Amino acid sequence: MTAAGVLGPPTAPAGTTSRTPPGARLAWLHLRTRRVPAAIIAIAACAGLLRAALYWHWTFAAGPYAQQVPMIIEAGAAAVVAMTAHSPFGEAERATGRCLPYLRLGTAAGMCALAIGLLQLGVIGEGLNGGLPVLARNVIGITGLGLLCSLITGGLLAWTLPMGYMVFAQYALLEAWTSPWAWPVRPPADRGAWICACLSLAVGLLLFAVRGPRTELSDNG
Amino acid sequence: MNVNLTEIHRSFGKNKAVDGVSLELGTGVFGLLGPNGAGKTSLLRILATVLPPSSGEMALLGRDPRASAARREIRRRLGYLPQNLGYYPSFTVVEFIEYFALLKEMPVPAVPRAVAAAVERVDLGPKAKAKLRTLSGGMLRRVGIAQAIVNNPDLLLLDEPTAGLDPEQRVQFRSLLRGLGESSTVLVSTHLVEDVGAACSEVALMSAGKIVFRGTPDELTVRGEGHSVGDAPLERGYSAVLAEARS
Amino acid sequence: MTTVSLPLAGPARALRLELKRSAVPFLLPLLAAVFYYNTVRTADGFPAVWTLRASVIGDHMLFEFSAFAGGLGAWAGSREGRRKTADLVTTTARAAWARLSIALAGTLAWLLLAFGSGVAVLYVKTALQATWGGPPVWPVLVGAAGVTVVTVIGFTCGVLFPGRFTAPLVAVVTLFLYQVGFHAVLGIDPVPGIHGLGSGTYGLLSPAGPPPNPDAGVYYRIAPDLSVVRVMFLAGIAVALFGMLGLAPGVRRLASPRSRGSVRAFLAHGGSWPLRGAALVLIAGGLAAAVTAFSLAGTARLDPVGGWEIPALHAAASDRPLPVAEDCTSVATLRVCVDQAFSDDLSDVADALKPVAGEIAGLPGAPAKAAEVASMDGGQQVMSGTAGNPPVFEFTAEHVGPIFGDFNAPADDPAQWRAPFQTGLLDAFVAGLAPGSGQHAGPAVPPAGLAAQQAVVNALLTAAGTAPSEIGGNELLPGQPSAATWAAIGAATRRFLALPASARRAWLATHLTALRAGTITLAQVP
Repeated sequence: MTAAGVLGPPTAPAGTTSRTPPGARLAWLHLRTRRVPAAIIAIAACAGLLRAALYWHWTFAAGPYAQQVPMIIEAGAAAVVAMTAHSPFGEAERATGRCLPYLRLGTAAGMCALAIGLLQLGVIGEGLNGGLPVLARNVIGITGLGLLCSLITGGLLAWTLPMGYMVFAQYALLEAWTSPWAWPVRPPADRGAWICACLSLAVGLLLFAVRGPRTELSDNG
Repeated sequence: MNVNLTEIHRSFGKNKAVDGVSLELGTGVFGLLGPNGAGKTSLLRILATVLPPSSGEMALLGRDPRASAARREIRRRLGYLPQNLGYYPSFTVVEFIEYFALLKEMPVPAVPRAVAAAVERVDLGPKAKAKLRTLSGGMLRRVGIAQAIVNNPDLLLLDEPTAGLDPEQRVQFRSLLRGLGESSTVLVSTHLVEDVGAACSEVALMSAGKIVFRGTPDELTVRGEGHSVGDAPLERGYSAVLAEARS
Repeated sequence: MTTVSLPLAGPARALRLELKRSAVPFLLPLLAAVFYYNTVRTADGFPAVWTLRASVIGDHMLFEFSAFAGGLGAWAGSREGRRKTADLVTTTARAAWARLSIALAGTLAWLLLAFGSGVAVLYVKTALQATWGGPPVWPVLVGAAGVTVVTVIGFTCGVLFPGRFTAPLVAVVTLFLYQVGFHAVLGIDPVPGIHGLGSGTYGLLSPAGPPPNPDAGVYYRIAPDLSVVRVMFLAGIAVALFGMLGLAPGVRRLASPRSRGSVRAFLAHGGSWPLRGAALVLIAGGLAAAVTAFSLAGTARLDPVGGWEIPALHAAASDRPLPVAEDCTSVATLRVCVDQAFSDDLSDVADALKPVAGEIAGLPGAPAKAAEVASMDGGQQVMSGTAGNPPVFEFTAEHVGPIFGDFNAPADDPAQWRAPFQTGLLDAFVAGLAPGSGQHAGPAVPPAGLAAQQAVVNALLTAAGTAPSEIGGNELLPGQPSAATWAAIGAATRRFLALPASARRAWLATHLTALRAGTITLAQVP
């Protein structure tokens, strides 16, 4: 008998082995803790609402105000993505290994892409003013704001800055502002608007991945 | 008798959490022991009028809690500390206890003094104005006890009250229990048999939803004579009764 | 012994705790920033007329408050679910309804305080600038009802669905309903009937809408009919939802998988019967009020002065015109008068009309006075024109014609502001237009004659220092003239402009009658 036999890993009890790779298993558990399945349903509801708005002509068909209603729904979807930032574990999770920043980054970026995809699915066959580029840019930029907001207010109140920015953008729409920071009102190919929206997401993702959401305020309410 | 239960059943789907429990409790401190999943918390929640029984008769403080007016009166005279205490982290200790005093419809002029007394009784005077999020787990537990006793309840239900308390605080808590038991019915659900031995005049042991033992701590100790599982006499009695119930 | 002093009594103490620990104050800076950028800046762009400035309460302020009120209401309502205190608070004696009401009141109080502060800022700014009238109350009541109902909607959703995504979804849905109502009011893309209900009614009930005419409430009172039904509708929904809170614990049990949806669970946990009865009464009463308001709104019709009247609520006294007081000044030979509500604009109007008045002073039919009149009459927009003896040029606060008010914010360029006044005066003088409702009233003129009139107008405008644009300078010509016509008009304009001023005046003195009759062609313009 050698030491290797004693020091080797114990045999797992019967019925507890899993064929899922540990990385995928970790990612799935992480997504569940962030209530991602419920978030997908919430975003799908937003997509349904957008489709209904376009199908029943509850929004301006064209012109400068055609963005008013879609912007509200896109901001809502982005807010839902930002709220997946909330962790139910607080400090206990932060005291773990190196995976957490990558999990945060992957979840937020993946949810942003998923939100764009679901919203775009919802408008297939309908005429969305500005099309996919404007929809994607809005979700990208406002998600970034939501992630930044989570650093201050915590994940559960991360919807506040996206909603506030959306109201601000509604006014910018009426006033036909040309500033690239008012990206929801800019034309689809406006480079400055794309830079600002992508910058918002990039900074939001980076800071959120590294620092994570604040645990006070939203957890203390 | 402040508590009168007759053939109480409570099921969650196919799981019989409480299976035909009959219990009469008067003034004093009673311990409720049992392994995990025995039904202690479910029984406490039934007594706290949070959970209605599936069947059976019960009278709390001389009233049938099925009637809403009676239930309200019971709750005025009830104190309850759940196993998992939820709280509002931004509240201070005083604010949290005051909030529950007001919810219990205590006479308003009596609230300030009652809150102060409750804070002192759990030895949290220096932390009275501290926010709950700044407190340790043990201190939070004491805040939970304070909100349970602020209205000088006639029926006090405590689920794992000493979780997180250090030994000195547990000694103080047992003394508190004994004092409360002189005029109220106190039912303590716990895993810590030494708490039961030190503070309780009677103990009941639950297993699989049923009460398998009812008697004094000394009687439980006697049941453990000759039984090898357990480091203390009361533990051996506990193990012996459970083993018998399971066989 | 620790001493604590609690000066308040009763549920007020619990409310004090709620107010102290509410999450709303933390978000007030963000709300204030949005309020400034959206509401204050829009209001600052309107003339200092009370009704116009107050219109931003429903159009803008309620929108930005709804974005937060619904979400914060949901946040407060979901507290017991989020903090896992449901069991603990259930064992207390105070009824769940009372407990929830205190939590709701805490959140609502902060939001109404913020709303009231915003209204105060708006009204104080207006009071410092307005020259006539006083602060209207109905927009504030409608706004407060709107904030209340959105908060109650959010709170109720939070109680029933204490999930983390309830807050943003509530915010999205309330803003969505707000905007849908806005579009229905504008009627640009009519909302199709839903379940047989009238398409326009929902739009009327929405507090949002385009800004009123700039002189709304100046010449005639604004009938409160629509505001009454809006308050009734919003308050009815709020009351009904508040009643639902009284049944919420039972509803939650009903929906719980463990209760198997049993009515017994609902009855066991719904509270005492008197409370349930009160809850049902509130639900029924609130729904009745909302349905009644919806029905009343369906009977609304446009009144002659551009507002809405609801026959069942309308008081004939509100149709009487308000006493008009003018503020006047004189420029050249022209006396310029505006309603005292627009006194701040008098000098700008006079400055705008002065150069063109100088061009036509002393000519036959030149007006001796320019006076502001109501922009709506008999349900139609009033068009500018000259009438009476001596002739008076009548214009409206809509800048002399069917321009879409100040919705797009006034032009920053003073020339753009002056041009409509100058064009309107010259059009009326050269073409002999009389004021009318819905369309200019003038003699029937063949196209060739209209082209000559347009050329003369353009020349006089240019002489006054304003460059005529194709849009601003072709009110006399029907449709879109061809490029050849524009070229010919331009040539005639340049010829006439090249004449000395005295020669222009001399020609006009002898040819105005023929020009107005349309018998002068472009070739005959010197």
